[in-house]
Amino acid sequence: MRLDATTVRRLLIVLLIVAWEVLPQAGLVPRLFLPPVSATVAALWGSAPEYAYHLWVTLQEVAISMLFACVGGVAAGLVIGNSVRLRQLLLPLASAGFAIPLVILYPLFTAWFGIGPESKIVFASVYGFLPTLLGTAAGVQTIDRHLVTVARSLGASRFQQITRVFLPAAIPTVLSSLRIGGALVIVGVTVAEMLTSTAGIGFLISRYRTLLDSPHVFAAILLVLAMAIAFDWLVQLIERRVAGWQRAIRTEQAPAAAYS
Amino acid sequence: MNKDVSGTIQVEGVSHTFVSNGEKTHALDNVSFEVPKNRFVSIVGPSGCGKSSLLMMLAGLQTPDEGRIICEGKKITRPDPQRIGVVFQEASLFPWLTAEKNVEFPLSLRGVKPAVRHDRAREALALVGLEGFGSRYPHELSGGMKQRVSIARGLVQDPPILMMDEPFAALDEQTRTVMGDELLRIWEQTRKTILFVTHSLGEAVYLADQVLVMSARPGRIIDRIDVDLPRPRRFEMMSTQPFMELRERIWRQIRH
Ligand SMILES: Nc1ncnc2c1ncn2[C@@H]1O[C@H](COP(=O)(O)OP(=O)(O)O)[C@@H](O)[C@H]1O
Ligand SMILES: [Mg+2]
Repeated sequence: MRLDATTVRRLLIVLLIVAWEVLPQAGLVPRLFLPPVSATVAALWGSAPEYAYHLWVTLQEVAISMLFACVGGVAAGLVIGNSVRLRQLLLPLASAGFAIPLVILYPLFTAWFGIGPESKIVFASVYGFLPTLLGTAAGVQTIDRHLVTVARSLGASRFQQITRVFLPAAIPTVLSSLRIGGALVIVGVTVAEMLTSTAGIGFLISRYRTLLDSPHVFAAILLVLAMAIAFDWLVQLIERRVAGWQRAIRTEQAPAAAYS
Repeated sequence: MNKDVSGTIQVEGVSHTFVSNGEKTHALDNVSFEVPKNRFVSIVGPSGCGKSSLLMMLAGLQTPDEGRIICEGKKITRPDPQRIGVVFQEASLFPWLTAEKNVEFPLSLRGVKPAVRHDRAREALALVGLEGFGSRYPHELSGGMKQRVSIARGLVQDPPILMMDEPFAALDEQTRTVMGDELLRIWEQTRKTILFVTHSLGEAVYLADQVLVMSARPGRIIDRIDVDLPRPRRFEMMSTQPFMELRERIWRQIRH
């Protein structure tokens, strides 16, 4: 019997969860380091209202940051990717900015914007903005210019060249940049909450850790994971909807890629 | 005054020099010719002699430095797909649109109603022998089928003139021969004026009423050869004496 990749992947996940339950139960791993799944889920369930409140705070911060990072990053990426001069001027700066571990600047953000949601939003926006911009700008350059000429020969106005050729051609790269940028926004918000804050899932993680309450820490981590996975699913869903053609072309060119 | 100008092209003293990064390329030098209505004219010449540039200018995609191009009595200043359909070499279909949507594309740019668009696209696809393939995406079509879709898209607005830039160059020889015959069938059925750029001398002679021969860069017209082989053209003609003589005459001029 041969197992396909999806089945193997699912089996692995089940195996992980089983190990997560069995190892601490058997005393092979201290419960403080790894509380069993059952204890984690119980903690989540027992403090559901608290988790719900903080999750809501985090989701709001993520949503607003996502808007800034993704809309801003895509727009800036489209503009910069299209202009040779801007590209030469700004791309090295953006790459350098991307290379700086922005977390070390976070204390500054709290000094400027306080320890409320604002500093998280600004931090996560900047954090997700740069990779979105870089990815979009790079993607724009791979667009086949010939297709723009073709559209012109078919009577497309300037505006139509952008809406009817440029944007559809750019969508696949824009989406994959969004995927990276969005994931980083989630990381950015939670990390900022863990460092200095009064609310949010990151705040819960850091508070329960101080109390050495591992099940509650893990419960919060689970929520962050769920958020990241849900976001990724969403982008993939959109990708399948609007960029199926590209996926198909890619699969055709490299049959092995069908596994991913 | 009331001369019928439909489907005619006049090229008058067209010269052009490209400048990119300070480097000048003298691409076209005083090119002049006329194409009457319903004619099939091939343009051949060594690669890099300016054939594509000339076609870009004829299609209104580029303005020549000097000279004018007149199409149906009017100077060409910008693309006008209702008078001139253009077919490029390859990979010219929008990969995110189905064959049918590709053909509808120029109509949708003008805001033609979806129902009308749909009918016209189906007619055009039927004309090129692609009935029932409308819902396929370009990557699901063979090279020859893709070029048929491109031709359908060029013809969907029924322009009197069709310009083709090495449309079959990327196809294998068999498909290429079939496509040549298909093009002649479409031409006979629709009576377009066709300007056909190719680097295959055999293809140029086989298809055309007249072959324009261009020199190496800067491109000039160095010969106009009338092809008086009978129509319909048949594959066997390619091995006849008159055909080979015409081919040789072109070859001699291009060679040096
Ligand atoms: N946009 C352009 N900028 C600079 N040089 C160009 C441009 N387009 C064409 N050329 C140059 O003009 C010459 C003619 O090109 P082209 O018309 O494509 O030739 P052909 O189609 O006959 O092979 C070539 O040397 C080419 O490099
Ligand atoms: Mg060419």
